[in-house]
Amino acid sequence: MSYASFATPADINALLPASIVALTALVALFFDLLAPAATRRVLAVAVAAIGLSAAGIILALQYPHAYAAFGGAFLQGGFSTVFSEIVVIATLATLSLGLGVGRDDQVAGSTALMLWSASGAMLMSGAGNLMMVFLGLELLSLGLYCLCAVSARATARESALKYLILSSMASGFLLFGMALLFGASGSIALSALAATKPSLLLLLGSGFFLVGIAFKLSLAPFHIWAPDVYEGAPLAVSAFMSVVTKAGALAVLARFAYASLPPDSANAILAPVWAVAALSMLIGNLAALSQTDMKRLLAYSGIAQVGYIVAAFAGQTVIGVRYAIFYLAAYTFMNLGAFAVVALMSRDADAVVGIGRFAGLAYRRPWLAALMTFFLLGLAGLPPTAGFTGKILILAATVSAGYAWLGGVLILGTAISIYVYFKIVRVMFVRVDEAHVRDERSPNALPWITVAICAAAVFVLGLYPITPSNVLPLVR
Amino acid sequence: MTVTVLVLGPIVIGLILYALPKGADSLARGIGATVAALAFLLIAVKPDAPDASLPWLARPFTAAFHLGYGPISYWVVLLLAVVTFSGLVALRIPRTREFTAQMLVLQGAMNGVFLAKDLLLFALFWDLMLIPVFLLMLGWGMPARGTRAHGTAAWRYLIYNVAGGLTLLLATAAFGVVNGSTDVIGAHSGAIAIGSVWGPWIFAGFAFAFLVKTPVWPLHTWMPDTYAELPPAVVASVSGIQSKAGLYGFIAIGLPFLNEQMHAAAPLMFGLGLVALFYGAFVAFTEDDAKRIMAYSSLSHLGLILIAIFSFNPIALAGAAVYIIAHGLFSASGFLTLGYIEEREETRSLAHLGGLAAGNPRMSGALMISALAALGLPGLAGFAGELLILSGVYAAGYWWAALLALIPIVIAAGYMLRLFQGIMHGPKRGDLPERQDLTWSEGFALAPLVLGLLLLGINPHAVAAFATEAANVLR
Repeated sequence: MSYASFATPADINALLPASIVALTALVALFFDLLAPAATRRVLAVAVAAIGLSAAGIILALQYPHAYAAFGGAFLQGGFSTVFSEIVVIATLATLSLGLGVGRDDQVAGSTALMLWSASGAMLMSGAGNLMMVFLGLELLSLGLYCLCAVSARATARESALKYLILSSMASGFLLFGMALLFGASGSIALSALAATKPSLLLLLGSGFFLVGIAFKLSLAPFHIWAPDVYEGAPLAVSAFMSVVTKAGALAVLARFAYASLPPDSANAILAPVWAVAALSMLIGNLAALSQTDMKRLLAYSGIAQVGYIVAAFAGQTVIGVRYAIFYLAAYTFMNLGAFAVVALMSRDADAVVGIGRFAGLAYRRPWLAALMTFFLLGLAGLPPTAGFTGKILILAATVSAGYAWLGGVLILGTAISIYVYFKIVRVMFVRVDEAHVRDERSPNALPWITVAICAAAVFVLGLYPITPSNVLPLVR
Repeated sequence: MTVTVLVLGPIVIGLILYALPKGADSLARGIGATVAALAFLLIAVKPDAPDASLPWLARPFTAAFHLGYGPISYWVVLLLAVVTFSGLVALRIPRTREFTAQMLVLQGAMNGVFLAKDLLLFALFWDLMLIPVFLLMLGWGMPARGTRAHGTAAWRYLIYNVAGGLTLLLATAAFGVVNGSTDVIGAHSGAIAIGSVWGPWIFAGFAFAFLVKTPVWPLHTWMPDTYAELPPAVVASVSGIQSKAGLYGFIAIGLPFLNEQMHAAAPLMFGLGLVALFYGAFVAFTEDDAKRIMAYSSLSHLGLILIAIFSFNPIALAGAAVYIIAHGLFSASGFLTLGYIEEREETRSLAHLGGLAAGNPRMSGALMISALAALGLPGLAGFAGELLILSGVYAAGYWWAALLALIPIVIAAGYMLRLFQGIMHGPKRGDLPERQDLTWSEGFALAPLVLGLLLLGINPHAVAAFATEAANVLR
């Protein structure tokens, strides 16, 4: 095998967006060395924004191309492109929340880490073999371990350590599962797995693999880490984790569920996944009921939301994966919109924001309250938002795949979640004595742009649900 | 185009009101009343406006933004325009601008519910119409003194109704998957067949939502608190129109597409209707809070409509249509009048009121007409509806139900007169100072409702013409 055939231009092209994101991190670090102190923050974020935008544009252009790069290690196609695009958009939005993460002298470093994490998630979205899955996952996680600790608060270090230990354990599960899967198929390629005869090795390997993925997705009962980690981490990092980690892990789960299992044993292997999804919808929403810290609340809400998305995969139908992607996009905008509103309400991007801070917001800052209400309506699945349309599509997918019971659980979970989200709406709209409320404002107006874009996206996607057609995950 | 304007116009103008300067209260009120009046004119002038439709979903089932008049919905949106106008024109409330804005959004959303010709769009507006009511209750709720903490009623309203909205959503999704299209309301019913596998489940989802919304016993517990706590302008529109959404759903969706399941569920619905009829009437007789009396009387009256629908008789159905409109008129005028009284006397407890008629002849007359319409005085709209329903139910062979239903109707005379007497007659209470009688603007607000009660009472045929179309639906 000659060198030329090992990495053809098409191979390079497939990895171009992820590479651009990873290299932008180096550029940001380099500029940081030269930049005067006053501009360090802006410069690092600006460089990252340019790199991410370039990657986003290239991804959009690549959408129709399908190609198995590097001998099937990275499967470029509509599926990977859409997931990567969501990762890119989410990263851009996250950077806007506090204009980077941490103090001025930390921003270049934290931005670089965030970009590397994002590129890890992009690799996961196209991973065609077990090695690439693990590579992407670790790249994603390593950056996050550090990012969680970028804060002066002691809880941040606790959060980082907790995440490091628990997430490493999950990686261990995943790796052990991969080893067993390799034993079953004799190959690291996911495509080889699909042709394997059912065996105990396959069953055990899939089990461990799925446990690892469920942990990264924070599906109940593997969700315990998420609220603590979100609460301790800086706001922007929580926002990043709530979307990017989930997008990467969902892509792997979808590819595994849809294309990597022998057809005759797939349903048996995946049955626990649907049960776990159902459990997440209920436990996530029930636990969110009693939360008063916004980050914890959004963490629990995220656990439930991922449950909804995974439910769409049930029965492995074509429309299921399309609607899961649609809902993931809707969730991305609704969730980041809500995070951006929280960012606008704190002077310091690292602050702890309790629900009490929203008291009487509708009378002090009506626009912000209206937009927050809109995002919460979306998360609760009420019209006129993409959350409503997304839910109806997922319901239709579960019903037509013969998993109507999952639809029923989804409705039950949503009913509970109404209380969760409207608790905040209620606090905002009940009149309070102004003297008792701490009214803080964000020093930069950047989150306003994010809020506006997210609101527009949630509204438009709600009326005209664009579900990408070319998104069946491939293994060849 | 006309129907699109009816739905989007109030919503958009309502949101624009927020851009007015903060103190522009009378301007906001003027705009609100004008919008409602224009909506009325638009509906009245163009009763044959064509449907408006835009494609929405293509997969997994086809759905469209499809709006248009139906035989009942035409009258309901006309009623809603009147009630919204009446609520807004004499409005005196703090933060009028925000209040008017929410009222307009509510009007647009409810127009959407009744004009939607697509099930998914129906479900969308169904959820949407709950939100302004929730916000109005949070911002302007008037809990009776010494009752529960502020906001409890708002919670109950939201949780109950959204739970209903969610089962509606699931049923809609299932309907779409089974039928391939949700763009069906008003379509010829023969073309739609929901099999016996999915039918019961889909019907159960719809029925739960409709029964919560109506409401019937035992799903009614959100209702008395909600009606008692909401400001009069909102409760007029919620009890007058929003509570009819469920009954409308049974007629427009249940009868044509889930006929088999409707027939199967008829005994249960008869039972629920009768229980609501009796329970509402008895509780209304014992309550002390004037608004709660009206609320429970609503429960009782809507039970009668439920029985009418499930007797599957064209005459009863025509009666249901007439009574839906009649109840909207008299409950709106009743709640508005009680609101004016509460505003002056700062109480709505019968124990603390009395003898107002002497000093307030006009107020007394207004309350009298609402009460008489509610108890079914011949010549007013309530009577026309009740008579049609009872004779239809009798003709359908349920003579015993017609006979039973007579009892609460007699009780209705009792509690309505008790309400009227308690407030207007009896010894004048020493602790109530002289207040101003009904003002001109308040009279102007009530006039269209009273006029409607008279007109519909004399000529119910206008609304009952629906019966001929209904006969096609019934098999």
